[in-house]
Amino acid sequence: MPVISVQDLNYQVGEQKILSDISFDIAQGEYVALVGPNGGGKTTLVKVLLGLITPNSGKIKILGSLKKRFKKCYKVGYVPQNVSLFDSNFPLSVYETVALGLAGKKPWFSFLSSEDKEMIEMALQKASITHLKDKNLSQLSGGQRQRVMIARALVSSPEILILDEPSTGVDIVSQQKFYQFLKSLNIDHKLTIIFITHDLGVIADDVTYVLSINQKLVFSGTAQEMLNCESASELYGIKSHVVGHHCSSHAC
Amino acid sequence: MFEIFEYEFMQRAFIVGISLSILTAVLGSFIVLKRYAMLPDALSHIALLGVGIGLVTHTSPIYIPIIVAAIAGVAIEYLRYKKQLYSDAILSIFLSGALALAIILINLSDGFNASLFAYLFGSITAVSNEEMIITVGFTIFGLLLLLGSYRKLLFVTLDEETAKASGIEVFGLNLMLVVLSAITVALAMRIVGILLIGALMVLPISTALLYKENFLKSLAMATLFSLVSVIMGLLISFYLGLSSGAAIVLVALLFFIVSLFLNW
Repeated sequence: MPVISVQDLNYQVGEQKILSDISFDIAQGEYVALVGPNGGGKTTLVKVLLGLITPNSGKIKILGSLKKRFKKCYKVGYVPQNVSLFDSNFPLSVYETVALGLAGKKPWFSFLSSEDKEMIEMALQKASITHLKDKNLSQLSGGQRQRVMIARALVSSPEILILDEPSTGVDIVSQQKFYQFLKSLNIDHKLTIIFITHDLGVIADDVTYVLSINQKLVFSGTAQEMLNCESASELYGIKSHVVGHHCSSHAC
Repeated sequence: MFEIFEYEFMQRAFIVGISLSILTAVLGSFIVLKRYAMLPDALSHIALLGVGIGLVTHTSPIYIPIIVAAIAGVAIEYLRYKKQLYSDAILSIFLSGALALAIILINLSDGFNASLFAYLFGSITAVSNEEMIITVGFTIFGLLLLLGSYRKLLFVTLDEETAKASGIEVFGLNLMLVVLSAITVALAMRIVGILLIGALMVLPISTALLYKENFLKSLAMATLFSLVSVIMGLLISFYLGLSSGAAIVLVALLFFIVSLFLNW
């Protein structure tokens, strides 16, 4: 059974179509890159999957339940775009931030149980930021904040993790480390991961599935199939050639 | 020294002041961190409209401002969240619109009188028994709601979109925060004054933020600054015969300035 199933999804604002007839399935444990040009509808698609935007038509199933009836939102972790741009004066420690990830799961008038505290420690460990737990967000680098937000998303033990352009504002070396970390989460914890990226080079080696969106679903398949120049050309509307090598690939 | 507490009006002023200092500090913390610091000012001017309605219709000066401020709070949050209008623009529209209406209503009544002056700047003699009971009861109710929703509200304050994605009822919590603030402002105007209540909600947390601590410590510090400001302000007001609202806000401002230099 796919963890995410989308059928005939349409979303438009006024007369302008943003997403048109999009259908795909994502199986459990996939490591999925969502690619496409700016304005192609990637972030909108993610917001529809998260329930932040209601589509005009189409059927979405998350973990086997129709999205409209899906109540276990904590089973889908989300890391938004531009984490490094968060208000640096916001007085939150790393520990407090990660604990927020349990807020959707816990009822009103409930405090952190010893089990919750264990889950927070585990999430800090998974994101390799235990040593930072007493620091305030304002004291962290962009890459460290990114990991904090991932720990926050992981603390509720999600089955799916969605990240919107997670490497924005992170330097190339940190990017590589970050994607290795993401891949290890996918393999070690059997977590289905979907991330938006503009960097075709990043997706080539590790991702198991690629979704290319440009209002419509231009391509879905493996990364190797994506390296076909025609797909990339159709996606970006320009003649492109993708060069693959042992550690990365890039479109030109 | 303790003769001050022999006066019933001072006992009431202290009970109401201490209750409100805690509630305004906690509410103010969430409001300032949401970049919504203009909200208390807008709500206080809306409460003035309630006072104006009360003066014209000779009805309750306690309940009408509370009702008017709470209704306006719902409208403000609806326009901001559901209609996606700019929050500072909405607050400015409500503030000036309510003030204009209030001035006309006050003109239609007996005009500017001593009781209105007390509403504008606060008065320690203004608090009735009924107001004291309502204020203490509402403070307990408000703090319980904030305690019960603390982590959800903090998530919404930090990042509304991700909070919503994780299943948190963002609109409902925002609405709760705004309506609690509206009622608090309407209750506090007797002792702090319509023109100064905004400062009491914004200054303590702004002072606490200068120390760059985590959220819980910042919240505790804001509450302490607020509590001490109100107690000292009331004492100054009693012994020097000054307006209570002005004295409270000046003490809170002093804490801010000293903290600013300490953390330069």
